[in-house]
Amino acid sequence: MAHSTAHSGITRIDRMSWRTRRIVAVVTLLGLPAMFAWSTFWLGTTVPSLLWGPVSFVLIGMTIVGSFVLYRYVRDRADMPGRRLDERERALRDRAWILSYQVLSAVVVAGAVITGLTVFGFGRPVTLDGGLVNALVLCVGVLLPVLPAAALAWIEPDAVEEA
Amino acid sequence: MARQAERVEPVLHNRLAVLRAERGLSRQELADALGVNYQTIGYLERGEYNPSLDLALRAAEHFGLPVEAVFSRRPFAPMSAQLYAVTPRPGEGRG
Repeated sequence: MAHSTAHSGITRIDRMSWRTRRIVAVVTLLGLPAMFAWSTFWLGTTVPSLLWGPVSFVLIGMTIVGSFVLYRYVRDRADMPGRRLDERERALRDRAWILSYQVLSAVVVAGAVITGLTVFGFGRPVTLDGGLVNALVLCVGVLLPVLPAAALAWIEPDAVEEA
Repeated sequence: MARQAERVEPVLHNRLAVLRAERGLSRQELADALGVNYQTIGYLERGEYNPSLDLALRAAEHFGLPVEAVFSRRPFAPMSAQLYAVTPRPGEGRG
């Protein structure tokens, strides 16, 4: 039988609304890839280098701060096997993991389709250089572990007030 | 929020909130008795979560009632209406 969870020490992060949580999840997952996209864009333009640092800092900060907020909100409820959860929490965690898998699959398939179209459709070569590998490794390494927490924050309904 | 209520399974109606109020229990106290998170009691009361058979039976057992008195597939009539419903005697109510 699962044990109950004391709800003392509830913070504003725990009370985040469903809408806020969804915004945080999107911002977290897009921050790091956006930083790499921005860097790639910046290299090919005449945008002053003074602008590169602050914008990159903000974008990477979105992922760092967002990850902290998501982990703080979810705590260990997205872990597998994690602490003893009750039946509703287990069902929610399982749904979050399924959603994570679906998102990951969609990203991988989209990446493969875009690469295929670029190479075979437009005849342009795709070079797997150090920069691209670095970006991919960092995005996978940072964002993949956050994905279940982001998915749980995405699907969980608003909390119920104690009564 | 409408989109939060996206669900496939039909809603299982219950009297948990009424029974809990009758007995002066907080959600936390009922949750402790049933071995679940207090949020789960809230979601059950709001009809946003359907319990497993095991949890439904444990809840019914806790209140000392048959499970059909606590959970139903059809909306419950108010308890007062059921308690004080006047049963028409034979022949009554006919012109």
